[in-house]
Amino acid sequence: MVERFGKFFRYHFSHWVYGRIPPSRSIALNNRSLFIFPSKAGFGFLLLVLICWLMATNYENNVVFAITCLLISVFVITILHSFSNLSGLKLSFVRATPAFAGEQLVVELVLHQEQSRYRESLSLSFLGEEAVATTLHDQEYIHVKVPLYAPRRGIYNPGRLTLESAYPLGLLRVWSKLDLDIGCLIYPQPIFTSSETVNAHSRGNGPLQMGDGSEDFVGLNNYQQGDSLKKIAWKQYAKEQGMYTKHYADYQDERIWLDWNDFPGLDRETRLSRLCGSLLQVSATDKAYGLRLPGIEILPDNNEEHRLKILRELALFEEPSRGDEEEQPFRKKPL
Amino acid sequence: MIPSWQINRHALIWLLLAFVAVIFIHSAHLPHWIIVAALVAIICRVQRYRGAWPTPNRWIKLSLLALCLAGLFLEYGSHLIGLEPMVALLVSTYALKLLEMEHRRDALLVVFLAFFVAAVQALFDQSIGNAAYILGCFLLVTAALVGLHQGDTKIQPLRPLMKAAVLLLQAIPLMMLLFIIMPRLGSLWAVPIQSHSAKTGVTDTMTPGDFSRLGRSADLAFRVSFDGAIPRQHKLYWRGLVLSNFDGRQWSRSAPDDFNYGGFDKGGILQWFGRQTQPWDSLIERLGQPLHYSVVMEPSQQPWLYSLPTPLPKSTGIALTRDFRLLSSTSVTTKKQYEVDSWLDYKIAANDVSDYRRATELQIPRGYNPRTVELAQRWRRQNSNDKALVRKVLGLYNEKFVYTLQPPLLGKHSVDEFLFETQRGFCEHFSSSFVFFMRAAGVPARVVAGYQGGERHPDNYLLVRQYDAHAWAEVWLAGEGWVRVDPTAAVAPERIEANLEEALRDKEGFLADSPLSLMRFRHINWLNNIRLQLDSLNYSWARWVLGYDAIQENLLEKWLGSYSPLRIALALLIGGGGMLGLLALWQLRHRFSSKHDELDRAFLQLCKKLAKAGIPRISGEGPRAYAQRVAEQRPDLAREVKAINSVYEHMRYGNESQERLKVLKWAIRRVK
Repeated sequence: MVERFGKFFRYHFSHWVYGRIPPSRSIALNNRSLFIFPSKAGFGFLLLVLICWLMATNYENNVVFAITCLLISVFVITILHSFSNLSGLKLSFVRATPAFAGEQLVVELVLHQEQSRYRESLSLSFLGEEAVATTLHDQEYIHVKVPLYAPRRGIYNPGRLTLESAYPLGLLRVWSKLDLDIGCLIYPQPIFTSSETVNAHSRGNGPLQMGDGSEDFVGLNNYQQGDSLKKIAWKQYAKEQGMYTKHYADYQDERIWLDWNDFPGLDRETRLSRLCGSLLQVSATDKAYGLRLPGIEILPDNNEEHRLKILRELALFEEPSRGDEEEQPFRKKPL
Repeated sequence: MIPSWQINRHALIWLLLAFVAVIFIHSAHLPHWIIVAALVAIICRVQRYRGAWPTPNRWIKLSLLALCLAGLFLEYGSHLIGLEPMVALLVSTYALKLLEMEHRRDALLVVFLAFFVAAVQALFDQSIGNAAYILGCFLLVTAALVGLHQGDTKIQPLRPLMKAAVLLLQAIPLMMLLFIIMPRLGSLWAVPIQSHSAKTGVTDTMTPGDFSRLGRSADLAFRVSFDGAIPRQHKLYWRGLVLSNFDGRQWSRSAPDDFNYGGFDKGGILQWFGRQTQPWDSLIERLGQPLHYSVVMEPSQQPWLYSLPTPLPKSTGIALTRDFRLLSSTSVTTKKQYEVDSWLDYKIAANDVSDYRRATELQIPRGYNPRTVELAQRWRRQNSNDKALVRKVLGLYNEKFVYTLQPPLLGKHSVDEFLFETQRGFCEHFSSSFVFFMRAAGVPARVVAGYQGGERHPDNYLLVRQYDAHAWAEVWLAGEGWVRVDPTAAVAPERIEANLEEALRDKEGFLADSPLSLMRFRHINWLNNIRLQLDSLNYSWARWVLGYDAIQENLLEKWLGSYSPLRIALALLIGGGGMLGLLALWQLRHRFSSKHDELDRAFLQLCKKLAKAGIPRISGEGPRAYAQRVAEQRPDLAREVKAINSVYEHMRYGNESQERLKVLKWAIRRVK
């Protein structure tokens, strides 16, 4: 029952918040977007006030009564101080460093203000993630990097960012739930396969030149006059199996294809993960590599830009439906 | 494993300072070992912060707790329910909590305990100085609380204190509003009170020497404000107690008066303010207009109150007794303010006195003071008129008796010895012997104890001190009722007309118990002025703050039109809302003027100058494009304008300090 009520409350609260603070890349905090409520310590303080009041009343002691009034008054005044600690602060989303699914993603934000004021004990966090604490000391802006867990590939919106502070007395918590319209690019979680497999698969499909290469061992040929001594298979010779030369093959232009069809029988995500793993392995060499996905073909190349382009394709290929986002309580459309 | 929380340095400093300050004010009524324990707690905390000592384990903590409880038990034993044991327990909890502070939660608890322990101090002492000290403690505690929530510890250590000061200062107007408006409910249940405080002032017994002891003290008994002028000095007889019982040495209250006070109302002995009038009230004839006054009494730990005859209480919780004194429903343990109407002209039981009353007021112990009894009966036979008899006895005192603070000791037949041998005494000797004499002569008489006179403060109120304590007599005369007779006035009229100081000038013993009292330096003018100023401040504090309960209802009725919950709520809302609104404007003033505004103003100034020079800015033209255009048209200004633009851009879009703004303004001023 309580749980249902809690769910009901959260649902409607999130709608209300959505209406008050619509998503935007840059949000200024003001009385529309800031919420304030006593913290646990605040309720403790109110209990203290109650005890003091009882003491004042029972002892008919006006000094204790005045002290009680002072405590109440401090509590009320603190509302203003807590509020002005955050009010006027602007929060902008700068970028999210792409990451692989399952790893940590860093969202970079800028906190800026037009005034030069102290903004104490700010804490930024995404739902269920570790909070980052920071302070603004009459600077105009600071960069803040908020880490969070990257759950799955695609464009990921981590939901609303909670910015909160309990300054100055910790009795009141001021917070805002901000949707900075963050889209983090998350690459598939790489699954690494042994390098042989990569090559084997690649070879089957690549334009292989069976000429006299030097890269990959293909087989043994009978020794012919004029063959390089370096290529003689001395092992076989020592075993008195005859005189052979090792035969190597090179790809025509050393191109590798990362191909969707290399992984028959696997589901989409596993294929993408394997392709991602292969990509990471291949991109560490100086070979050119390309990507073939159903409906997409990226011609082989080898540079950082190319690598990021392929990673991007892998991340966004038939991107998982936005259905996942239904789990994000603060992303629902208003009724 | 949760990483262990470590309190930050600033918070710790303020927390420890607050701890020392709070414990210090309590030190007067705490056992010494608790002070030592508190010091040990501080040392432990500092050493742990430095990493020198490890975290105490559970067993150490438990044994410390047991030690403290055992100590408290040994210290207070059987009377564990009382204010002092409670405070001692509270302070030891506070010290132990400081010691075992492991989490932020614990630190918060320490802070709340600090607030509470500081507030409790006000139960012991409500003086203005103590209240200021408590406010100081609150400042330190608040600073500690701010320190706990300050993110950055690299900044100056005074910042939490500044923030706390700002918070408290801003809170004061609202506090005053709450204090003035919030209704007082009165005691909800009985609470333990201070057990070790000595009763002060006039007691309900009188033995020779009691009043001369009070004559040695300049402590304040009560202050009185009259509506209108203060009556003449010789009319200021503050009745407190009626002593009818005499056992040969000691005067005490008569048996039926000897009741418990808590709400006692059986048999119509008490007539409470606001309740129905008792039948015996008709015995009093109140003549003329009443005198209205307000008394602020210092704690006496006793229930009787002082008033001019004949009083009628005007504050709740106060009753008129059958012998026309005032009584409080509880002992006066803190300053108490009450309002009274008194009729200085009166007749009480003019026509007849009840048999019981007559028997009580004629009782004398057998076998005591035979010479006095013999003389009284002889004079009785010579004078059939009671009034003439009274005059004759007073004439006896007037002849050769001496008024002194240091009377000789008296033996068993104290009245005989005083009347016929020593003939030196203080008010108790005179009143005691007079009443005994009258009773022996068959005239109903009783001793009345209280205060006489008082010092007139320039601010038109009266200060009554312990050395104003006085005892006099009342005799019953047919046709006149109970009449006040003061035998001391016959011996030392200056005591009654002026004051004790006048009567005992340069005599030993006066103020002997108050060697440093400013009262001793009354002849030094500027010191006396300071003394009077201080007293005025203290009296205002006592009247308007400590005794506010008594005047709140009338005051609010005057201000709000009526004393109703609706009006109170409205006053709170409007007053509090107004204050908060003003504060909010002040607090959020930064929003109305920002650094950029100032920057833009400077830039607009430049635009104006250039427009005068014939190069107005085209609408929509950016600063850079404008600077470029100016540079082209006025090559002589090119360098300056470009430099200004560059600074402007840096300030507008970069992170430039405030100092550059000054440079920019200066540069703009220089452009001709």
